[in-house]
Amino acid sequence: MSQSITNTLETLLAPRLADTALAFWQKSRDELTAGVSTHRFAALIALASRHAKRTPLELSPEEIDAIAELGVSIDMRGWNLLELLRVGLITARCDLNEVSFAEDFEAQFVYADEGETCALYRALALLPAGERFVWRAGEGCRTNMNNVFATIALDTPYPVQHFDDTAWNQLVMKSLFLELPLWRVLGLDNRRSQDLTRMVLDFAEERESAGRAINNGLWLCLGPHDNERTSALALRAWAAANSGQHAAIVLGLARCNLVAVAEQLGADSIDTSVTSALQAAQNGQTDNIHFAQLTADNSETQA
Amino acid sequence: MRFFDPHIHMVSRTTDDYQNMAAAGIRAVIEPAFWMGQPRTNVGSFVDYFATLVGWERFRASQFGIAHYCTIGVNSKEANNEGLAREALELLPHFALKEGVVAIGEIGYDEITPAEEWVYQHQLQFAVDHDMVVMVHSPHRDKKNGIIRSIDVAREIGVPMEKLVIDHNNEETVQAVLDAGAWAAFTIYPNTKMGSERMVEIVRQYGPDRLIVDSSADWGVSDPLSVPKTAHLMQERGIEQSAIELTCWQNAIDAYAQSGQIDVDELMRDPVIDQSQSFSDNSVLRGQQPRIDEPVQN
Ligand SMILES: [Zn+2]
Repeated sequence: MSQSITNTLETLLAPRLADTALAFWQKSRDELTAGVSTHRFAALIALASRHAKRTPLELSPEEIDAIAELGVSIDMRGWNLLELLRVGLITARCDLNEVSFAEDFEAQFVYADEGETCALYRALALLPAGERFVWRAGEGCRTNMNNVFATIALDTPYPVQHFDDTAWNQLVMKSLFLELPLWRVLGLDNRRSQDLTRMVLDFAEERESAGRAINNGLWLCLGPHDNERTSALALRAWAAANSGQHAAIVLGLARCNLVAVAEQLGADSIDTSVTSALQAAQNGQTDNIHFAQLTADNSETQA
Repeated sequence: MRFFDPHIHMVSRTTDDYQNMAAAGIRAVIEPAFWMGQPRTNVGSFVDYFATLVGWERFRASQFGIAHYCTIGVNSKEANNEGLAREALELLPHFALKEGVVAIGEIGYDEITPAEEWVYQHQLQFAVDHDMVVMVHSPHRDKKNGIIRSIDVAREIGVPMEKLVIDHNNEETVQAVLDAGAWAAFTIYPNTKMGSERMVEIVRQYGPDRLIVDSSADWGVSDPLSVPKTAHLMQERGIEQSAIELTCWQNAIDAYAQSGQIDVDELMRDPVIDQSQSFSDNSVLRGQQPRIDEPVQN
């Protein structure tokens, strides 16, 4: 498995690295496959910054398909080249299943700079026996650096697979606080508990009391657990909402099995984004990806 | 005008400072590793400090559209705690090779003791081994002698003079540093030591080549706007624009970009708040205006 991950990462790296950088990758990969000391591992992760910059990957559709074939349901479109190189260096290790790796991996966090920290967290979903690193991922969620937090919260299946309810709810709530694009919290579709719904509704009411707008992503986090409060919130929010927010409310209500309320609110609308959201709602097309479009005209575009 | 403050201890400064600095045109800073104002008692304290320099403080600066680089080193004061200094030196390989670490520093002499000498030499050797720039802190007492000695020792160990920056110079020391071929940096302190007025005269007398202006603002009485203020005074006093640009921006870049750790092209671009750099869909830089009114969220 890790072999095929490293191979896939290599096919992404190869066309993007200059000759000397590619040579660095190949030599390092061979070293790592053979086994390296803790110090050497750390040095290779650090030295990667001399060979790759933080340039966006701009993955092609074929490459996205190749990543999908790994069966990890990770979204690497938000990674940069330096992160890709570093994650490649991690997965190239020959002892990913061993204690030796778990110890070395954890040690990296102690000395990691900002870019390395992000790369280390990005690697989590691609490591075997991911449950070994749950505490570490929780530490990452406690960070004050939004970009570090985002590498754990967004585009990765790690949290939904490994976090307990407390940690999961905290991750969703913090994403909301930071106005991250919630549709990129993978697994949120199927993990909206009663507790989470209550926390989100409480949060929405706090925002209202403070006279602050409700982020579109909030509607993604509600489950069908408190229809009275959810409907009431939708009714209150509708009047002041713009068209993108209307669409989010419609989809959010539908996610809570409140299509009827959505229809009622949107009945008179001639706004195309509302009518198409209603249509999607009626067809049950309300999962994360349908919120992606709504973020363009909303504060949560990029936190 | 845009400015580079290549010596400032931001861990001791507030977000008000960051806002004012950004508003005054400061686009990039270098934060040298130094002491905390009181002695550290264990090596873990160094670990967390160095980690802050390459992590949290860099992030904090980015929230204000300011590029943050740092130097890593064991300072001369704490070199005198020999056991601790040795342990701290073992951290060098862990931190000094990180992205955005532009030099070994600030290192050098304080009281010019044998313990300081040993720690200084050890770090010079590390810099030579890793082809790095060196930022030298010159002592407050016996300054001239200390500076000459730090240059001689660095040369002996093989530090190329163009990779050596001697900081905290004054009228008495500048000639020796320039003659050696090193970079001469000046700390502009309000009230004491070097003031902006004296700096203007030094630039007039020596010309702008290899002179660098910085604030060294820290936890003491100091001014994080020293660089822009000095630049404006130079302007008022008729110093050529090109000389101001060199001493308050370009020379620092030329000196420290030798580390390969400053992306000069990116620095030349308009400042952006880089909050989305590592998780944006398709772009690292989005060209937005600095949101210096936005607090750091947590
Ligand atoms: Zn200093």
